[in-house]
Formats: sequence, structure tokens, C-alpha cells
Amino acid sequence: MSSESVLIDIESDFMRSPEKVMRLDRMGSSFPTRLSFMRTLIRRMSKENWQFKRTLRKVDKDGYGVSVYSAITPKRTYSLIAFTQEIPADMRTDRVIAEVWDATFSLFDGVPTQEDIDYLAENTPLQEGGRYRPSELVLARANKSLRVFENIISALASGNQPDIELISSVGYLMRTTAVYGSGKFGCADRAKIADRPECRAPFQIELLAVYLIRWFTIDLVEELAKERGGETAVRLDQNISRFIGVGNSTGLGMAPFLLKHPTLIHNWVVAKETALARVRSIETALPGTLEVFLKSLLQASQHIDEWNVADEVQTARITCLTDEIQSLRMWCEDESNIFRPYPWNGIYQFVEDNFSLECQEMIVSLIIEPHGSIVDDLADTMSTTTIPKFKAAMSLSQLKEVVADAYKWATTIDFSLQESQHHFWYYSEDKLEPRFGSKGVDDGVDQEMPLAIGRDVHDLNEVLASTDEDMPIGEFAMNHPQFRHIIRRIQNTFERPYSEVQDNLLSESMRPLDLLRFKLAFFGASKFDPKSDLWTRISMYQGAPLPEQIQDPNHDCWSFPIAGRSQSYPCISCSCQKAI
Amino acid sequence: MPKSDLTISLNEVLFYFTRAGFGVKAPIGVSEDFARSNIWAAQNGFDPSECSILALDNLDLKKSSLSIKFEKNSESSHLFCTEEKVLSSLEASVSCVDWIEFNGLDGELKISNVDCPFLIIASLGASQCSGVKASWTDQDNNSFEVNFIDDVKWEMISSSEASIELSHYADVYISSLDAVKSKIQNGNNKIFNLENEKLKVLNNGVKVGEKWPEIYEYFSRCLVKSSAESRASGAGAGLVDTD
Repeated sequence: MSSESVLIDIESDFMRSPEKVMRLDRMGSSFPTRLSFMRTLIRRMSKENWQFKRTLRKVDKDGYGVSVYSAITPKRTYSLIAFTQEIPADMRTDRVIAEVWDATFSLFDGVPTQEDIDYLAENTPLQEGGRYRPSELVLARANKSLRVFENIISALASGNQPDIELISSVGYLMRTTAVYGSGKFGCADRAKIADRPECRAPFQIELLAVYLIRWFTIDLVEELAKERGGETAVRLDQNISRFIGVGNSTGLGMAPFLLKHPTLIHNWVVAKETALARVRSIETALPGTLEVFLKSLLQASQHIDEWNVADEVQTARITCLTDEIQSLRMWCEDESNIFRPYPWNGIYQFVEDNFSLECQEMIVSLIIEPHGSIVDDLADTMSTTTIPKFKAAMSLSQLKEVVADAYKWATTIDFSLQESQHHFWYYSEDKLEPRFGSKGVDDGVDQEMPLAIGRDVHDLNEVLASTDEDMPIGEFAMNHPQFRHIIRRIQNTFERPYSEVQDNLLSESMRPLDLLRFKLAFFGASKFDPKSDLWTRISMYQGAPLPEQIQDPNHDCWSFPIAGRSQSYPCISCSCQKAI
Repeated sequence: MPKSDLTISLNEVLFYFTRAGFGVKAPIGVSEDFARSNIWAAQNGFDPSECSILALDNLDLKKSSLSIKFEKNSESSHLFCTEEKVLSSLEASVSCVDWIEFNGLDGELKISNVDCPFLIIASLGASQCSGVKASWTDQDNNSFEVNFIDDVKWEMISSSEASIELSHYADVYISSLDAVKSKIQNGNNKIFNLENEKLKVLNNGVKVGEKWPEIYEYFSRCLVKSSAESRASGAGAGLVDTD
């Protein structure tokens, strides 16, 4: 089947609707797919044969100092400048309000001079307290996972491999607590790099920085082990090092981003949903794909077994997911269930009818996975330069229609109830940390961030009900400027129906965590480990090839990785398809 | 960040100016457009804090108003403040662009008694209104004309050496580019090319001068004082993480 024959438009019967997809409970059950941004970046690195070099290492015996790690693309070099220091244990926090970190990083556009490194040595360790220039693309920091870090150094120094179960329980050596790009604190604006092929897909430059940070952490423990153990020391086994990701602790800052970039979110979701629809519309399975899917179910089971978290809600969901994947495997053993016309649609439909959202979204990821040849082109459609415009010439009657069609979820909420307006979002003066407050409890309602989309649509709808329909919106906005932002948003939704979260973000039951997981899954994160309803830890690049493995045939085979082993089934989307 | 003579990014212009507008109680949608106008000004090499500080001060001190009305007859149209105050350029600028979109420019549009005419220019530029002319004579008797030639190229003609972004309090006239001939004889002429200027800004950043701390002060009104309780629970994460 050629890719042309499975082009799907937004009206396809196989396309899930915005009403189904853009709900918090489903968004909060998201998993990474092969369209996730880390996967896209790794494929590009391999295809373009990027080179990686450590170009500077000026550190003491404890690893404190400065290092530079470079990624050399066909046209440019990007350099991660890493500063490491000793910090007091009681100052190690994942929060934005932290003041010190084990390691701090700037991703430099090009090859830094000594003058650049000196400038950044004065600023990067201060993070938000420093100032950066358009030559810096990303600012980030990370803290050690102390028990894993020390365990690995000790083991390697004494000539042994580290405890794989311990590595599996954490997943990384260091955890980033912020990765800033796009003009933050004076860094380069996105527009500076947006036209570069390697930066066109979303968040590629930030994720390149994270990839280099991961390499830096592995290099650091190997060097420290060598320092401690001398000739006795060994390097990490490649299967173990490949399983080591880089952690991330994500809090509320991501949620406002999602809400403030509706066009971008629409593009992400449409790409993923189009990929799913293309797969569901396949009448006869492509050769080998069903077999790969069945094997991937087994690996997914093993991956889930290794996904252990303290959070009770997520633990219950993981337990349920374990049982459901097992049930699905048994269902698939009956060949009549899967070797039939439209097999992928049949599998999807069975899962949707019988299993939890967590399982449904994992299966979405697994059935897309063997179809790189018909979905990978969608990765090119996921960014945007469009800024939603206020369209003054639209008529109020048309606006009313859009509200009635696309915002029923908002207009039917009773905002007179206290629980419907329980929360508000604000920026604290404390390093501009985003926080989530409760009305009547926390200060700051007057400085609420403008994220009350449902409530604002509801209020607008009430005013529209008593306004002449023939009036142009421009005239209406002169009389009611307080609705300008929400009108612009509604107009955008008219053209981009997957741009809006269709739930009340102020309600008492709202969990920002759902928004975080949705966004992180698009990044390619795994092992979601909620620490409260407001923040989560994750792993990034777990299972991804390291720089010296980027040309390996299995460079694209790292979805749902398992500890210490490479993927247990052949991938048919990259060059290791020869293995089938 | 509150110190003067900084270099900031365009994204920071968006972030801080949106909230600075909100900090003087402009509606958020108007503040968003105000920030976009300031990005356009910055992309053309102007210090956005110089362009905007008077408009923010006036709103804060209630010397200007966001209340706006329009009148239209067969020859011309008129946007004006409904109160006995100066018309805030934050509202004048968005209403001007809206007016052109829903009404067209089939005559002259007069916008009365605007505090910062350049913000109207920035708004027209940010909205890529080509084929439009704007002109005014300010309280110091400096005359300016701006011609939007196409999406990226615009021309400024001035009767004096005065800076256009510091021109204040004027009736601004908007028309089609070819509808009215230049009234400024032997003026200073400068042509801007947004694409070239933008590239310079992307590579060097936006310089903000002595007015920046005042912009930051308005921005900081959007921040909530931190308490022991909000510090402990508002972000959901603990204060110490060791694992």
C-alpha cells in the first residue's frame, strides 16, 4: 500500500473527534509514539550521520569543572557547555525556586570560544539569575540521583557492572529540573533557528540539549570510575548504558504553555490522530506488521512490569494496564480476531470497547509503531509559525455558531457553583514560579493567569445571547474589549478543532498532571512517575542509542524499553527490518 | 531583570509587555496585541520600552481611557474616546486595525487625541497592513507620515529630527497609500525593511534602555507575593529532593 493511498483528512471515519481526544482524562493517559519529538530527532541524527565529540574536559578528581560536548550536523555544530559543582544535600530540590544545582548547562550555537565559556561560567550556574545571548539556544540544569550515581561509579571502579534493578527503579543518573529555550532569559528566539532543517520539528533544539546531557551523565560516571578505580575500572555495558535515560521533573510551567499555544497543540494532535486513522484504515495488514505488533505486546508487558511508582492512583492504573495487556494478548491468540479485513481498526475498536484509557492510549502507540513508512512524514507537520489572529470582520452569528458547535463543554458548566471555579493559576514573585491556588484560600485571584477558557467562553456566550447578530466582531470588541482574547481563541478553534482542552481547568477535580503527561508524551517521555497532582518525574531517551550507536541498524527501535536488553523484536521501520 | 540597559529577546518582549499591559488593567486580549506591536517595533530597531512607557503611565494614572466609539459618514470615519480623556493607544491601535479589516479604507479614518501614535503604526505593521498611510502632527508640532509599502517595507517621513517613537498626543489620520499626497515638504525620509532589521535583532537581541525598569514594574504587578504556604504547596513539589 503506498502512502498516497492512505492519506486521511480530518473528516475521515477513522479519525477520533476532538470531543473524544481533547479530554483531560484521555490526555492524562498519553504515551509516546514514533512521532514523538525525541524519536524524530534520533531518526534525523542517524539519517544525517551526526558526529558527536567531547571537545573539552577541565574538571577536578570529583568531576567538578567545565566540559563541552558537541553535536556536529551536516551544516552546523551545537555545543553543550556543562558546569558541575558540589552542592549541599539540603539545597537539592526539583523546584523552580532552587538556587543551586549539581550541573548546569548552556547549549551554544556553534563552537564556543574561551571568551564564551568564561562568560557562561559567570552566568549558567546562576540559571534564571544569569543573562544569556542569542548565541545560547538552551539553558538547563540537573541534579544527581545520588543512589544511582554512586552505585554506578562504585561498581565500575571495582570492575563490575552496576545493579540493573537499581538502575531500572530510577532510570537515570541525573534529573533535569528545567530546560529553557525560545528566548528565555535572553537566549536565542525560536525564529533564529526555526528555518534550520534540524530545528523545524517542535522542541528539537531543547531535546538535543537533553540528549547531550544524557551523554554527559554517562561519560561523567565512567570518567569518575576510571579516576577512582584506575586500571581496574570498566566502562558500562552498552545494553545498560543504552537503558540509562535522563530524568526530568516537570511542574506547572508546562500547563500554561499548552494553553497558550493552541495552534501548535492542534498540529501535534492532528498529526498523531492522522497517524492512527491511517493505520486503522488499512484493509490488509502490511507484511510483518501484525507479527511485530504481537511481539511488541510482550515487550510492553515487560516494560509495564518495570514501571513502578509510589503514587497510588498511577499504581492502580498500571496494575489495570498489566491485566488488560494480558487480556489483549489472549484475545489476539485467536487469529480470527486479527487476521481479517481492517485488522488494526478491529484491534483498536476491541480495546476501546473493553479497556481503560491508559490501555487504549498504549495500544494507539503500539499499532502506530510498525507503520513508519506511512506515518513518519507527519512529523514534518507538527510545528507552526501561525499566530492566531483576531478576525474583526467575522460576524457575531458565525461566532455564535462556533461557540455552539465547539464549546458546548464550556457553555454547559454551571460556573455559579463554587467547585466550578475552585482553582486559579498564577505566577509567584518567587522566581516567577507558576503556582496553582485555591480561591478563598490563597492570595492572588486578582493576578490570575488568563487560562480560564471555559469560564470566559461561558461569560461571552451570555453576552452574545443579547447582542445583534449582524454586528461585526470588530465593533463588538470595541464595546467589550474584555472578550478580545477569548474571541481570538474561538476563531482559532474554528479553523483548528483539536486546539482546545475540552474541560474546565478551574474545577476542584482538575489535575494539572494530565496536561503535563499529554505534553511530555509528545516529547517522547516515559515512566511517568507522579509526585502529586501538580508535578511528575519522567525518563527521557531511555533505550535510545548513545552517540556511538546512532548508526546502528536498530537506532529507531526504543519504544517501551526494558532493562538491560535491546528490543526483543525486530523493528520494521528502520534498517533492522532485514532481521525479519 | 528590573535593571536598565539590558538586551532581551523577542519572546521576552511578548512575555513582559503582555503582562505590563495587564498590570495597568488593560484587558488581556488588548495587552496581547500591545505586546505584538512592541515586537514589531523591536524588530525594526526601536526600544519597545521607549515606545510604550507613556501609554502605560497614562492608563495607570487614568489620564487616558480605553473607551472608544466610532462614527462614520460617506466621506470619512472617526474613532474617538467617549470620556474627557486622551484615547489610550493600546485601544486605539487594535481598534484601528479592526476597523480597517471590517470596514475597509474607502475614505479617511481619523483617530482623535491618541497618546502614542507610534503604537498605532506598530499595530498596523504587526498586522501586515500594506498599502496604508498614516500621518499626524504632534503636540510639539512635529509632523510624521508612515507609508506601508508592502508586508516588509515601510517608509517614514518626518518634518524634524524628533524620534517617531517619542511623538506624543496627536490626531492620527489613516488612508490608502495612494489616496493622499505627502504634506511634508523636504522632510527626512527613511525606509525600513523588516526582514533585514529582524535578522539583526534575532542575532543581537533587543536593547532596552532606561525605561525598562518601569515596564518591569508594571509587569511585576501580575506576580503574587509568596507566602510560606504557597511556597510549600502551590507548586505541588517538595522543597528538598534527595534520592
